Amino acid sequence: MAASVLVPTVVSPEVVSLYIPAIFTGLLVGLIGLLAISYQKNDLHALILTDIVSLGMLILVAAVGTDLAEALILPGLVVELAEILAISEILMSREMRKMDKTVELIPLPLSFNMEILDTAPTFLAIILIIYGAFLSGFTGGAIAGGGILFYVLSKMTRGVPSNTWEGVAGASGIAWCLWIVGFLIFFVAPSYWLLALFLAAFGIFIKVAFKVGLIGVIGREEFKKDKE
Amino acid sequence: MFDIYVCFYTGVLLVILGSIATAIGPGVKDPIVRTLNTEIPSVGISLILLTYNHTIALLTFIAATVIIMMILLRAIVRMEELGAEL
Repeated sequence: MAASVLVPTVVSPEVVSLYIPAIFTGLLVGLIGLLAISYQKNDLHALILTDIVSLGMLILVAAVGTDLAEALILPGLVVELAEILAISEILMSREMRKMDKTVELIPLPLSFNMEILDTAPTFLAIILIIYGAFLSGFTGGAIAGGGILFYVLSKMTRGVPSNTWEGVAGASGIAWCLWIVGFLIFFVAPSYWLLALFLAAFGIFIKVAFKVGLIGVIGREEFKKDKE
Repeated sequence: MFDIYVCFYTGVLLVILGSIATAIGPGVKDPIVRTLNTEIPSVGISLILLTYNHTIALLTFIAATVIIMMILLRAIVRMEELGAEL
């Protein structure tokens, strides 16, 4: 069945034999998710079901089974994350406008004003950021970003200076430029490939790590309202 | 002994059953139950990625799932505090 498609000899026969079942699973899961969305009246439930559709997309991409598939899954995950974050913010702000009242940015059932939140987050965030820098690239960015997010969220009960978000967003933009310059060097001056590799790897590392700046930009208004 | 077919088809089974459970499973009128049900297909996807040796994709997927879970739960709790219809 798979012989009718051009398959390079480096692909192992196991991966080739799993291709058709994987494709059908992906299509089936996507179909289940889309059908459930079409019967759904509530927007929040539809948003949760989008998660299922994106999982079907992941199987379709993963079925290729090569490094290309791995490289395509990572942007897919980040796009999904950004999409869910943006749509949930839109839903909440629409509901707030409709109801004409506000709730706090991150609703916590307890008041977390404890000593450990003053000392532990710095240590844990430093470890996460160093480990992320050691990994570099996309995964390192995600880990370091988790560290920064953890730090900010733990400190939030004591007040975060809201104008630092502007700086974080600016650094993220500069890192993005580094990444593009790295790619340009690959094509313009291939003999400097090591420099290009490191520019690209650490550019994307800083870029992904500072993606948390997005949450800060969204919550800027509410941070100001709470703390000043 | 690591049999890739067992790993792969367990993943496929979990993904399909989990997505059906998320769509029409018992108690999905409650958005928190629905969100928790999405974890079942996530485990299935992890097994499938493991079969294909997609290590970095698997690590990033686990991190992304945790963050998506946090975003969805935050949205649900905020909507409930607003008193919106769920």
